[in-house]
Amino acid sequence: MADLSAEPNRCKHRLARTIGASLLSAGLAVSVLPERAAAQDHQYSAADIQAGARLYSSQCALCHGANGDGVAGINLPRQQFHHVSTDDDIRNVVTTGVVSAGMPSFKLQPAELDGIVAFIRSGFDLSGTPFKVGDAGRGRAIYDGKGGCAACHRVDGKGARTAPDLSDIGAVRQPAAIQRSLTDPNAAMVPINRSVRIVTRDGRTIRGRRINEDTATVQLIDTGERLVSLAKSDIRTYDIAPTSDMPSFSGKLTSDELADLLAYLLSLRGQ
Amino acid sequence: MRITSRYVLPLLLAAGSWFPSASHAQVSAQRIERAAAEPQNWLTYNGGYDSKRYSTLNQITPANVKNLEQKWVVQDQVFGAWESNPLVVDGIMYVTERPNDVMAIDAKTGKLFWLYRYTPSPDARICCGANNRGVAMLGDTLYMGTLDAHLIAIDAKSGHPLWNIAVADTKLAYSITMAPLVVKDKVVVGVGGGEFGIRGFVAAYDAKTGKEAWRFNTIPGPGEPGHETWNGDDWKNGGASAWITGSYDPSLNLVYWGIGNPGPDWNPDQRPGDNLYSDSVVALDPDTGTLKWHFQFTPNDGYDYDSVQIPVLADMDWLGKPAKVMMWANRNGFFYVLDRVTGKFLLGQPFVKVNWASGLDLNGRPIQTPQPPGMPTWPGNQGGTNWYPPSFSPRTGLFYFSVWENYATIYRKEQQTYEPGRNFTGGGFTVVAPAPGAPTIGIGRKGPINNWTSEVGSGATVAVDPHTGKRVWTFPQYDVTDAGMLTTASDLLFTGGREGYFYALDAKTGKELWKANLGGSIVMAPVTFEIDGKQYVSVISGHTLVTFALRN
Repeated sequence: MADLSAEPNRCKHRLARTIGASLLSAGLAVSVLPERAAAQDHQYSAADIQAGARLYSSQCALCHGANGDGVAGINLPRQQFHHVSTDDDIRNVVTTGVVSAGMPSFKLQPAELDGIVAFIRSGFDLSGTPFKVGDAGRGRAIYDGKGGCAACHRVDGKGARTAPDLSDIGAVRQPAAIQRSLTDPNAAMVPINRSVRIVTRDGRTIRGRRINEDTATVQLIDTGERLVSLAKSDIRTYDIAPTSDMPSFSGKLTSDELADLLAYLLSLRGQ
Repeated sequence: MRITSRYVLPLLLAAGSWFPSASHAQVSAQRIERAAAEPQNWLTYNGGYDSKRYSTLNQITPANVKNLEQKWVVQDQVFGAWESNPLVVDGIMYVTERPNDVMAIDAKTGKLFWLYRYTPSPDARICCGANNRGVAMLGDTLYMGTLDAHLIAIDAKSGHPLWNIAVADTKLAYSITMAPLVVKDKVVVGVGGGEFGIRGFVAAYDAKTGKEAWRFNTIPGPGEPGHETWNGDDWKNGGASAWITGSYDPSLNLVYWGIGNPGPDWNPDQRPGDNLYSDSVVALDPDTGTLKWHFQFTPNDGYDYDSVQIPVLADMDWLGKPAKVMMWANRNGFFYVLDRVTGKFLLGQPFVKVNWASGLDLNGRPIQTPQPPGMPTWPGNQGGTNWYPPSFSPRTGLFYFSVWENYATIYRKEQQTYEPGRNFTGGGFTVVAPAPGAPTIGIGRKGPINNWTSEVGSGATVAVDPHTGKRVWTFPQYDVTDAGMLTTASDLLFTGGREGYFYALDAKTGKELWKANLGGSIVMAPVTFEIDGKQYVSVISGHTLVTFALRN
């Protein structure tokens, strides 16, 4: 791995030098149905979630996958469905099936259905990691101010593009995972978001973050926010940073401030 | 809605003799037996009874492969992975699409003669995708297994069904996804359902009438040899499916079939014993279904290491003597060579990282080393390889297949009670990820943008020397691959991967000679054929069936 610090940082914003790129996996754009908000009123117990997890792995995982994204167009922990929005919708689909899509009907007890719903709504969170959610309004002020997040991240068209766009981060990541990203970014960083430094055969140096890769090519967004696609046969050196450019906010923000920031990030659910 | 048919017999009988004529040859059993002598056709799922997927066609060469161009495309009309393998018979291609459609296509132009649609019962339960991998042919009749475990005979000229029989009860989650194998006057099929507590079997049906000729239960019942490898009533719902097409050796009069995982999948403690004939290859008399020998790769499997790979048959020198061998790259991560006359173990070597076993003993039995709860097992749930059709080239002497590298799974065991038609898997698994919540890999590609990266595992096309079990070369791919292999007499290897690249590699060195970006996952094995002196290669990528040939 190359020492990336040797490269001049092209990030336009002063804070970006310290906060840098990477980290929260924006993943694929996900559309979340507005009815999702209604589901927030429900409480899901740890016992329901864990019972649901067991039922899920025996009855659902073979098609929907261990991570809930095994069926095209559906991502259960991200609350991305074809026909479903409310908890009752989930129950109905499970009990009646979707014949046209090849999903069979399941004869489950009401308590079993509660478990399935709870497990999906938890974002498949088996860890039970405690987290604290504060006030989203205050969190937004921290995001824009003390946190300096917009120097690298972008929300709803505002901010930099060098780090992943956070416009839908509340929909695509579990609360516990976002909190961990704030306090221990290296441990939470998803590989695709690591900074890369590429030197091409014709001598160009490109720094940025990958957005897609295959055997023959790589697509990335560079620190100048340009979309770049390269053939690997044109690359001389290709280094991927082992750590996140994002600093830990542990100690930089108080625990109340972190809770507020988390609340704001959870409120970001995309279009 | 189910299309039932009562057309039975007359059409087939009216078609007359089984003798081939020059202008209009029917597919006789003799022709299939001598498939290698007519490389212009692709007569069985694996191109011939020995399943080498090796063609003597040599018009396309390493030197001119760069001149391949697309000749035609057929678009799939339905959604989902397209795992079908075409047959090509005298200029006509027969290919299936989801769920159980069959198309007859002019293999030169891509134009359709007919489309037969069968709608399986909504009761059908398929663990891993509503796939169909193709048809078999005898005479003027095609044979297709269905998702609701029926076997249908279809007139190859009109696409009309001739007969339709229930092979098994779909309410118990039996299914058929494999292409049948015609042997002499019989059609042989196996069943899926290993994740639903079935008792698996391979069965043969009279090709003219659909009457069952024999049935080999892949789990021996009380009083039968091997039953002692099960405890109590475990055998009744012990899985051991047979969801991939087998091979046949006419000289020995034996069919060979790979058998799937025992159930419940991930809780071996619940079914103590070796669980025969799960994760085995069985050698059967095709006239009677009598078991001649078996070899078990993974006794008391707790990892879903189906042994549903295709038995690849070849004759070669072994330790200085001519031998009839069977080559097998298993989902469990070991490559095996067996004596196919007796089933004797000749060689076994891991081809990817393996930690569920420390090695094999002198008889090929694994020395199992189960990992502590919560710790990763290599290879992961989808295996070091899987059902993806391999190839063996007698010219290079190398065995080619797709592997998944650096891919591990954490398994969780649970006691589970069997309930008819419900999943019976006994726990679950998670793919080892580099960070919490990071995207991981599994059955099927997740989308056009790779955000899971090679850190959760990557694919490769590899060539193994069967005499050593060692890799001779590796062609790495960034994403994992489920593509099958095709080799030719010009030492080309055609394959693909989930990324949608269709590759021509140098079969001797693994060097990339040519590729086309077809834009969708390649989840089948390419086939080659010849019409009017021109060699064609067909491949399915995403929702398109593409056929290439050299530029005119």
